[in-house]
Amino acid sequence: MITIENLKHYYKDIDGNEVRALDGVSLDIEAGEFVAIIGANGSGKSTLARHLNGLLVPTEGRVVVDGMDTLDEAKTWDIRQAVGMVFQNPDNQIVAAIVEEDVAFGLENIGVPGPEIRPRVEKALAAVGMSEYAKHAPHLLSGGQKQRVAIAGILGLEPKCIVLDEPTAMLDPQGRQEIVSTVKKLNQEKKITIVYITHYMEEALEASRVVVMAQGKMQFMGTPKEVFSRVEELEALGLEAPLAAKVASELRKCGAKLPKDIITEEELAQALCQ
Amino acid sequence: MLNNITLGQYFPGTSFVHRLDPRTKLLATMLFIIAIFFAQTPLAYAILCGFTLFVILLSRLPLLMVLKSVKPIWIILVLTLGIHMFTTPGETVVYQYSFLTITQEGLAMGGKMCLRLILLLLFSSILTFTTSPIVLTDGIENLLRPFKSIGVPAHELAMMMTIALRFIPTLLEETDRIMKAQTARGADFESGNIFERVKNMLPLLIPLFISAFRRADDLAVAMEARCYRGGEGRTRMHELCYVGRDYVAFAGVLALIVVLAVMRWGSPLIKI
Repeated sequence: MITIENLKHYYKDIDGNEVRALDGVSLDIEAGEFVAIIGANGSGKSTLARHLNGLLVPTEGRVVVDGMDTLDEAKTWDIRQAVGMVFQNPDNQIVAAIVEEDVAFGLENIGVPGPEIRPRVEKALAAVGMSEYAKHAPHLLSGGQKQRVAIAGILGLEPKCIVLDEPTAMLDPQGRQEIVSTVKKLNQEKKITIVYITHYMEEALEASRVVVMAQGKMQFMGTPKEVFSRVEELEALGLEAPLAAKVASELRKCGAKLPKDIITEEELAQALCQ
Repeated sequence: MLNNITLGQYFPGTSFVHRLDPRTKLLATMLFIIAIFFAQTPLAYAILCGFTLFVILLSRLPLLMVLKSVKPIWIILVLTLGIHMFTTPGETVVYQYSFLTITQEGLAMGGKMCLRLILLLLFSSILTFTTSPIVLTDGIENLLRPFKSIGVPAHELAMMMTIALRFIPTLLEETDRIMKAQTARGADFESGNIFERVKNMLPLLIPLFISAFRRADDLAVAMEARCYRGGEGRTRMHELCYVGRDYVAFAGVLALIVVLAVMRWGSPLIKI
C-alpha cells in the first residue's frame, strides 16, 4: 500500500540551522494493516505522517502510495484521495458550520456530482455513529464527536488508508475510547489501512504492528507484545511502557518467574495467579 | 457574557418567505429598495408600507421584533429629519426662531427620507430574519458567479464567509477562556476610562490573534489534505434551484415596481 524508502526530510530552522526531522526511514505498510507509530516529542513521527499523503515531500528518498510517487505533482490529488488524514485539534479541521456540510466538503472538492454526495455523506456519518448529529453545529459537539466528524469527512472520500496524527491528544478519556474503537472498527469491517500516530501506549496495543521512532529514525518495530516487552529500551528513548509491562519487568528483576510477553493488566493478573 | 450567542439574527421558521430560494430573497430585496426610490406621493408610500407589512405577516415573524431592528439607526433618523427640516427652502413657514426656519416642505421632505430609511431597513431585516447565514452565503456565491469572468472572486468570498461563520463561536469561546486566564493573573477588563480599557484589552487580543493564526494554518493544511484546490471543478451538495413560489415572489415585487413607476412617470399606454 505505502512504501517508504530511505526517507530523509531536512529543513532550516529560524536560526538557519539544518534540522534533520527524518533521517533515513524505510517502512512498508501493507494494505489492511493497523500500524501504530509511537515516539517522544520531536521524534519525527508527525513529519513522517505528513509525507504519507504528499503534504510534505522528501528531501531525499521516496514515498510511494499505491504505485504513485508523492514527488509526482500530477498525482497529488489522487494520493490525497487514497490517503486521508485526521489531525490533532478537532476544532481546526472542520470547515463548515453544519456537520453534514463538513462531511460533504471533501466530496465537493473532488467534483462528485451533487445528487451522489448526500448518500455518501450519510454512509460516512453512519460508519462513525454520528448520523443523528447531521444537522448540528460542530462547535456544540464534544471533542470525541468532533473528531469522529473529521473521520467521517475523510471516509466520504473512500480512502484506502487513513493516517491519524495524534487524534486523541486533546480529548478526554471517553473521547479517546470513542476514537480508538471507531478506528478499530473501520480497520476490521471496512479493511481500511490505518496508520495511527500516538503517544498513548495503551492505544498502540490495539495495532497489529508498532513502529518506534526517535531522533528522526525508526528504532525498532514488531507486534505490540514484542515492542512493549522491551521496557528498558523504550525508557531509554523517553517512552513509557504500559504499566503492566513495567510491573512485570520489575518483578522479573526481583526473581519472579513471569513470561516475557506480558503487556496488559489481565495477562499480568493471570500470570501472577498461577 | 459570551454564552448564548446567536449568529446574525436568523429566526427559524417554515413560512412562505422562509422557504424562498436565498437568491430570490436577495434579488427581491434589491428590487424593493429600487422601488422605494420611485415613490413620491403619499399614496405610493402607503403602498410601500402596506407591502412591507404584508411580507412581515407572510413571514410570520413577530411584528415587534422586526420593528425593533430600526432601533440601532435612530441617530441617523433624527439627523436626517433635522437636516431636512432646517435646510429645505419653502413657502409655508411653520416655526421660526432667529435664523432657524422650519417649513412645511422641510417637514414633509424629512419625513419622507426617514420613511425611506425605515422601509429599507425593515425589508433587509426580513431577509436576514428569514434566511440562515449559511444559506445566504450560498445565495451570494451563486448570484456572483456570472461576474467571475470580470474578476469577482465569488467562490473565495463565499468560502471566507463560510469559514468565518464556522469559527466565530470557536473564537468567542477562546476569548472567554483567555479572559478568564488573564483575570486569574490579575488583568482588569472592567474598570478605568475608555482609553485604559482599550489598553487593558491587549493581553486579551495578542493571545487571541496568535491562536487565530495558528488555527488558520492548521485549517489550511487540513483543507489541502481533503483535496481542496479552489473553486475550480467543485460541485455542491445542495444545488439551488428556483421553484414555483420563487416565481410568485418575483411577480409580486415586479408588480410593485411597475405600479410605483407608473405612479411616478405615468404609463406609456394610458395617460392618467
